[in-house]
Amino acid sequence: MNCQKFETVVSELARGQMMAAELRGEALAHIDACDDCALRFRDEQMLTRGLLSLAAEMDSLEAPAMIEANVLMAFRARNAVVPAPVSQRRPHSAYWLAAVAAMLLLAISVFVFRWTNRPVADPRNAGNQEEPQRKSQPVEQATPQFANNVPVPEDEFVPQRRKPRRMQPASLSRPANNQVANHVTNEIATDFIPLSYMNAASLQDGGQIVRVQLPRSALVNFGLPVNMDRYNEKVKADVLFGVDGTARAIRFVQ
Amino acid sequence: MNLKNDLSDTELLRSMLAGDDEALTLLYRRRQAGVYRFALQMSGSKPIAEDVTQEVFLFLMREGHVFDPTRGSLSAFLFGVARNFVLRRLRVEQLLAPLNDESDEEIPSLHATADLCPLEDLTRAETIDSVRKAVLSLPAKYREVVVLCELQDVSYGETAEILGCAIGTVRSRLHRARALLLAKLRPVGEFEEAGSASVKSARCFA
Repeated sequence: MNCQKFETVVSELARGQMMAAELRGEALAHIDACDDCALRFRDEQMLTRGLLSLAAEMDSLEAPAMIEANVLMAFRARNAVVPAPVSQRRPHSAYWLAAVAAMLLLAISVFVFRWTNRPVADPRNAGNQEEPQRKSQPVEQATPQFANNVPVPEDEFVPQRRKPRRMQPASLSRPANNQVANHVTNEIATDFIPLSYMNAASLQDGGQIVRVQLPRSALVNFGLPVNMDRYNEKVKADVLFGVDGTARAIRFVQ
Repeated sequence: MNLKNDLSDTELLRSMLAGDDEALTLLYRRRQAGVYRFALQMSGSKPIAEDVTQEVFLFLMREGHVFDPTRGSLSAFLFGVARNFVLRRLRVEQLLAPLNDESDEEIPSLHATADLCPLEDLTRAETIDSVRKAVLSLPAKYREVVVLCELQDVSYGETAEILGCAIGTVRSRLHRARALLLAKLRPVGEFEEAGSASVKSARCFA
């Protein structure tokens, strides 16, 4: 064996790898004969020992226990979200059924919403329809509030001139903040707010409604909210005067 | 648990893929140390080794069905997966130690004097540290054969399977890697000054 041949086997010889006995004998014989290759062999042996020491040093190293916990957790989570077999999945008809049910629910919601917000046949509103023409007329003519409440049959006798009805201010029967919409004039008016103590009997002799303008700040006196941005503006109001000229009630109009 | 201890890696893998977490635990405890050490010796970084170990077993959970027992052992399969993860991670983090003269300065010499026995003058701890750094400074293709064949005691055949190359390639790479290690552990200048026989040995077979 020459040095070049020895170089091809020196690593395996130093590492103690299995090799043919004849080849091994020739290599060992070359070491005895060649000092350079003997030193080369010794370097290889030192390197092998160094690598073995390093391997032995790291032999006890293991991954932290946290890694095992993470892997196990991921494994269990993965198995937990395994999708169900196709045969167990919901059929497409279930989705169609859900869609139809949703549409039905939507339609019912729209119907209920419209039904609850439909215009109410409020007799007072009907009375207000004639109000613009009768503002200066006596109350008994201007506010036949319940005149249209009950429809009159055609065969029923209708007098030429109806007996004057007793006027009952709305504020006496309803909360003061209950606003009334006037569909004819597009005005919104509050209920009449009594300006002093009165009862229904005090208006039996009639009265007059006069449209006036008041500073918006006057709303505060009646417990109504005031928009401070429009504090200096005027607000319309209808004042109900009795036959004696005394202001009995007021309502605000917008 | 005791009964499953006798199962082979392949059988444990099959059970694991069927949803048996006990099989996964056994398989993990059986193979995690080798994977972790391989990743640590390849990267020199504990965080990378931990990440790679975790990724290897997560990969096994996801893609374990691709393992073919007829092509090699599960251990080799895991080393191969770990190798890919390590190399990818090192590419990303650019932690590959360059093989140049500057890197030699970081590695303590095993041959501080002109002694012909380079490892004799150093303590064992220093030797281990020196060798570890020398291994880490090798190019990846040489480092992996050193780690597998020398440190993990994997056979040439399995190393060839892991690396996807011929056994002869493994042998030649290992031979070249050892020469590089010796060169790194022995400053050339000192050898030249001392007229070391090792330098002559290089010319001996030339």
